[in-house]
Amino acid sequence: MPLLELKNVASYYGSVQALKSVSLRVEQGEVVTLLGANGAGKSTTLRTISGLLRPTSGEVWFDGQPIHAMAPEKIVRLGISHVPEGRRIFPGLTVRENIMLGTSNRGRLTKKQMEDEVAQMFETFPVIRPFENALGWTLSGGQQQMLAVARGLMAKPKLLLLDEPSLGLAPVIVQQLFATIREIHARGTTILLVEQNANMALSVANRGYVLETGEMKVEGSPKELLGNEEVRAAYLGGHG
Amino acid sequence: MSAQYASADIAKVPRTRLSPWLFLVIPVAIAIPLIPFFAEVSHFVLSMFMQTTTYAIAVLGMVVVLGYTGQINLAQAAFFGFGAYGVALGTVTYGLSFWVSFAIGIATAAVAGGILGLTTLRLGGHYLAMITISFQQIFDLVAVNWIGFTHGPDGIPGIGRPSLFGKPLDDDRHYLLLCALILYAMIALVWWLPQTRLGRAMRGIRENELAAEVVGVHTLRVKITAFTLCAALGGVGGGLYAGGFAYISPDNFNFTRAIEFLSMVLLGGVQSPFGGAIGTTLLILLPEWLKEMPPALQFIKDVYLAIYGLAVILIMVFMPEGIWGVLRNTWMKFRSAPPVDTSWVQPLQLGITVTETTPLLKLENVQKHFGGLRAVDGIDLEVHRGTVHALIGPNGSGKTTTLNVLNGIYKPTGGRIFIDGVDVSQKSPHERAAHGLGRTFQNIRLFPNMTALENVIVGAQRDNNPIGKGHRALKARAMSALQFVGMAEKANTIVRSLPYGHQRLVEISRALAGHPKLLLLDEPAAGLNQTEKMELVELLKRLRSGHGLTIFLIDHDMGLVEKVSDRITVLNFGKKIAEGAPQEVLRHPEVIAAYLGEPPANAAT
Repeated sequence: MPLLELKNVASYYGSVQALKSVSLRVEQGEVVTLLGANGAGKSTTLRTISGLLRPTSGEVWFDGQPIHAMAPEKIVRLGISHVPEGRRIFPGLTVRENIMLGTSNRGRLTKKQMEDEVAQMFETFPVIRPFENALGWTLSGGQQQMLAVARGLMAKPKLLLLDEPSLGLAPVIVQQLFATIREIHARGTTILLVEQNANMALSVANRGYVLETGEMKVEGSPKELLGNEEVRAAYLGGHG
Repeated sequence: MSAQYASADIAKVPRTRLSPWLFLVIPVAIAIPLIPFFAEVSHFVLSMFMQTTTYAIAVLGMVVVLGYTGQINLAQAAFFGFGAYGVALGTVTYGLSFWVSFAIGIATAAVAGGILGLTTLRLGGHYLAMITISFQQIFDLVAVNWIGFTHGPDGIPGIGRPSLFGKPLDDDRHYLLLCALILYAMIALVWWLPQTRLGRAMRGIRENELAAEVVGVHTLRVKITAFTLCAALGGVGGGLYAGGFAYISPDNFNFTRAIEFLSMVLLGGVQSPFGGAIGTTLLILLPEWLKEMPPALQFIKDVYLAIYGLAVILIMVFMPEGIWGVLRNTWMKFRSAPPVDTSWVQPLQLGITVTETTPLLKLENVQKHFGGLRAVDGIDLEVHRGTVHALIGPNGSGKTTTLNVLNGIYKPTGGRIFIDGVDVSQKSPHERAAHGLGRTFQNIRLFPNMTALENVIVGAQRDNNPIGKGHRALKARAMSALQFVGMAEKANTIVRSLPYGHQRLVEISRALAGHPKLLLLDEPAAGLNQTEKMELVELLKRLRSGHGLTIFLIDHDMGLVEKVSDRITVLNFGKKIAEGAPQEVLRHPEVIAAYLGEPPANAAT
């Protein structure tokens, strides 16, 4: 049984049909990447999984139960953590508080446990450690992105949804970030990753899907996708 | 620098056509105030009509300030009061004619509105709400307590009415007709406003104030104008109200009335004068209908206020855009946008000739500190004419701060900035835009609820833009800029519904429409896929080689930076650590250690 399964999901974003029919599955322990052009529906797919959007038809199953009619906060408690695109951090809270708030789906943690886990995040993202007590908005764009990922990880999710984590990050940080994604995966977190940086995404993924105007076009291993003409057209520049 | 369109080209720009619906709406509107001349109408109903027309004019002011400009105003009853007291005191105490008193009332309201607008320089949001409430309370206190001048709580009876063409308007029906005609004129004015230079600037402020300032809108002046206009409309409504009812007292102009005006505009639809008029009519008629229930429903009479309140709450919950918003959205659903005619669009010209060899942009020891944090710590930099200069560096190294100091969002802590030889260090962003500085933002800052064309026109209407006068010249310029980035077909699309990559292009074209000498791009490639990045590279090359535009950009995509840049500057901890041609800079050991991680051959793209 897959950890996550979408069956013919259709979704509207306002009055625009963003997803026509999306089916995908993520097995326990996999890293799956979702590729596609701007406006293809990648972020909408993630928003539908985490309950921010209701599908108009189709089903979403997680860990053996249907979740497409559940409220987002309930879905978080089941173990899905969504790191949205565009650094949605809490600007008026300190970096430390931002990270601590990531645990709000897990009930009460002991002080010691919280300290340890926060310390672990600063080890994973040393760049933001010096700003521990600075307010969120004072961080630069790239630092905010790292903070958002750290906050998502604090949920100890069974499934982590990452939406364009490399957006606006310096090359060296992108490399660190993908190293971190590998590490998180190695520790047992299942990941569904949306990325524009297709080469990087396929370098960490077990499988990938290509989404085109709200429909799944191709599925395959990184090797298959890199060799596929359609993927090149959608992703690696040039048409055909 | 001259890139003016020939008048023949401008003549080809299609004119905006009036909607055929107007031919249906206008006769109906004119007919309504004529009803009392043909049918028996009670004095009570006439006075309700009078109340509706005069209130609606004040509510139109709220459409301008809240709906168009996005600024909260909880003092509209005070402005209504200025107009009313103007007429009352003028005709009763000082024996002036109605029209003179009316003008004095409106002028007083407008001046007070302008002064209130001035406070938006420093305050917005809930602080502005607080200021306007205080203003409203002060008005109320003065009206009640300065008995020698305002007659205090007893109010002023015996207010005069005007004469028109030598005929006094003592008949309520005649006076109502005058009020209705003035209301229609004001509706037409407010309806026409969004398509004007001023109206677009107002909407730009509502949608994204920072972006509006950066593309050249004098935001403070526009906000003051909005408050002045709003207050003047309040004054017009109040003056007519005083004449209509012949008696006023302070409780006509207190905070409760200000909240009523707010409810009316929110209920009807804050974005349109028609919404304002609908909301006013409903909220005046609704309580009367509830009171006039048949005997079986007499109990309603006792609780009509509760029902009235509940109805308002329900409408707000289910129609957040107001009644007009719902009507308009329904209408839009059945109407597909007509295809955009681009046959008349001329190629974009930037009018740049690179002859001088002096640097276009020069930074001298520029510093920006935030408390103890030295975000930018003494940067010297020269950007030469007709080149693409890239600024790279680790996250938090001060790149975006440098850009923000460059275009005036931040004033530098120290040092000086010269553009084309002029020291702009102390100039505001809109002054720098007028001096030929364009920019885009890291997180796209468009005006999301305006069309692509309207967004770009706001960029074209900056001060000193050499494109000729008039709306059609602006439209011609904006369409050329949209066509240059390949977005002309999407001109009438609301930008909120465009995909991310297209929004980037609209933002670039908004900057180009303003004839920049220097274009600042903050991470233009972020969020674009490889195909779109290649298109961006082509676009930047066309701008640099084809048009001689000088571009200063920040990006993390080394593939793009290497392909388009003539020169690269690297920052770390707010200081310059390397500068030079791409090949040498990207192989500089310090740059690799601090920023690249791996040599560029392995970087993305």
